[in-house]
Amino acid sequence: MPVVYLILITFGAAGLFLALPGRGQAFGRIGLLMLLGLVAASIAMLLPQLGGLGDRVAFALLAGIGLFGAIRVITHPRPVYSALFFIVLVVAMGGLLVLMNAGFVASALLIIYAGAILVTYLFVIMLAQQGTETAPYDASAREPLWGVLAGFLVLGTLTGHVLSGDAANELAAPAAGVLGTVGDVRPVGELLLTEYVVGVQLAGVLLLAAMVGAVAIAKRQAALQEEAG
Amino acid sequence: MPTRWGALPNSGIDKNPTPVDRIIRDPKIVAAVALVMLVLPPIGLTAAWLAFGQPLLDLMKATDPAILQFVFSLIMMGLVLFIVIHLCAALILAERKISAFIQDRQGPNRVGFFGLLQPIADGIKFMLKEDVTPARVDKPIFILAPCIAFVVAMISFPVIPWAGTVELPWGGTLTTQVASLDIGVLYILAINGLGVYGVVLAGWASNNKYAHYGGMRAAAQMLSYEIPIGLGVLVLLLVSSGTLRLEVIQDQQTATGLWNVFLHPIMFLLVLTANYAETNRAPFDLAECEQELIAGFHTEYSSMKFALFFLAEYAHMIIGSAVLVTLFLGGWEPLPGVSLLHGNNTWWAALIKFHIFWGKIIGLIGLYMLVRWTVPRFRFDQLMKLAWKGMIPIAMALVVIEGVLVAVGIKVDPTAGFVGNFGVLAVHLLVNAVLLGFILWQLSRTKAPVTGRQDNLPEIEVVPSRPAGQGGVSHA
Repeated sequence: MPVVYLILITFGAAGLFLALPGRGQAFGRIGLLMLLGLVAASIAMLLPQLGGLGDRVAFALLAGIGLFGAIRVITHPRPVYSALFFIVLVVAMGGLLVLMNAGFVASALLIIYAGAILVTYLFVIMLAQQGTETAPYDASAREPLWGVLAGFLVLGTLTGHVLSGDAANELAAPAAGVLGTVGDVRPVGELLLTEYVVGVQLAGVLLLAAMVGAVAIAKRQAALQEEAG
Repeated sequence: MPTRWGALPNSGIDKNPTPVDRIIRDPKIVAAVALVMLVLPPIGLTAAWLAFGQPLLDLMKATDPAILQFVFSLIMMGLVLFIVIHLCAALILAERKISAFIQDRQGPNRVGFFGLLQPIADGIKFMLKEDVTPARVDKPIFILAPCIAFVVAMISFPVIPWAGTVELPWGGTLTTQVASLDIGVLYILAINGLGVYGVVLAGWASNNKYAHYGGMRAAAQMLSYEIPIGLGVLVLLLVSSGTLRLEVIQDQQTATGLWNVFLHPIMFLLVLTANYAETNRAPFDLAECEQELIAGFHTEYSSMKFALFFLAEYAHMIIGSAVLVTLFLGGWEPLPGVSLLHGNNTWWAALIKFHIFWGKIIGLIGLYMLVRWTVPRFRFDQLMKLAWKGMIPIAMALVVIEGVLVAVGIKVDPTAGFVGNFGVLAVHLLVNAVLLGFILWQLSRTKAPVTGRQDNLPEIEVVPSRPAGQGGVSHA
């Protein structure tokens, strides 16, 4: 079984190399088709491990949309579309998390990534370029070979780990009955305020430092502008 | 010759009435149509009940409860969609009539009795207008943007607890809330966060500087005003509920009769104001401000694409009001202080609840309209200042205060009833009054200039950096 996955990932890596911007339109299309084949094949291989029919349909749809979005984020030559496909990916991820009864994480992902960070991305990209032409520096990828190799290694390692059996035990799903009575927000909150309280505090300090830094930078710029004028 | 309501003397339409004019302005025909519209539906419903009522009940009794709930949820979704779409049309007429009233005009009065057919004329006009797609726009996103705006506005509705649950006479319950999510409020915040994309993408894809500015403004504004809403929800969760489920938050208010608006009046005002900003309506409609940006982000849109933006704005108003009604205004309970409908789960109570809920929503929307036509538009730096230097500090102060109150044990007891919670209410009112006094005191101390940008520039840091003898400080 791992050999099949490895072959699939190699196939996908070749497809990605072709699909990255700069290979020409025909190669790009072939690469995209190869990647879509990979998506279909991996979803088809994962489906039998899932429970009911509804779960399978939802998973296949969300995973397919999410993977398509992920592929287009890095293969689309225009940054605005890349950001849009990133949003598609985030929304699909939110759906997958809801399927795993992780509603809180899903909504946090949507609020923070789709609602704040990606809007800021779009903001910057849109200020940088307007119009329907592709900018020359967006027409080809910078280091397609190394990028694809790094992605291949990450995916290969992850797949190997997941298939080795250790991960299956670690990730054993909690019983559905427990989730039904407690809900999916309370356990997260309790964990955050008991076991991971130090991490939460550290994150707060980090954010405070970032905020102070932003204020400091903003203040200095105001003074500089005044000097120039 | 038919009588004409609100007709101006010597206007062309009165000199040469068209055949359609003769019909829709004839009092007899209007009265007959109104009579038919009022009388026919009850007769039809009664006849349908006599014909199919008993078989329908038998079918419902025989159906699996899960399937019955599924069908009922589908019906609720269709019903709410129907109400929203039609209410949007009616609200556009109401908006024009209210604006006319405030500006001492007549408002639409040509199409039908008192202009009541104006929404139909507007709808026909939207569909018959040419749908222009300018040549240099980014076509996929140009078409996608209004769809995103409308869809995002519509998908928050399933979590609203319209009329609580209904107990069926033969056992079992139906819930009128389509999706009872454990993350209820967070879901609404998450969808709200997506709302900005329709406007931003429309502005960018139009390939038009004015539209671009409008989109940028909308993005900055919506990001800023999401924060007070989030903090407001946080305060509610801290003090009263300890849950994110909308139906539980609403049930706690109806059980005690103590609506959250009495406990958190300042927070209610903050969230209400932030809602105005989130819907991009005056005084926060900087994204489509006519003097500077023609029509802002929808400058290049026409016909049904523009209508979708329009519908999305009204749907946003409706969903924003529905969330406010659920969180702060006691949902479907008619009066504060008494729990008239709480615990009454019969079908006729559900009908009354549904109407009260929509009544409250329409009341809040009336407030939206009064505000829109009363308060002048902000300048953009004032808008940003209001959010970041005004509303967010106040909201954060409230979060801290409420946290302290909860820590010392002052919390709403859902079982204690109205009188039992008087102490909690008194403490909260006192806290709010003190905070309000502090805000007013601060405002009276810091006299910010009304015009210009002087107040934004740090004068103490700037002046020393300037060589001496160059004259006074100029704030260009």
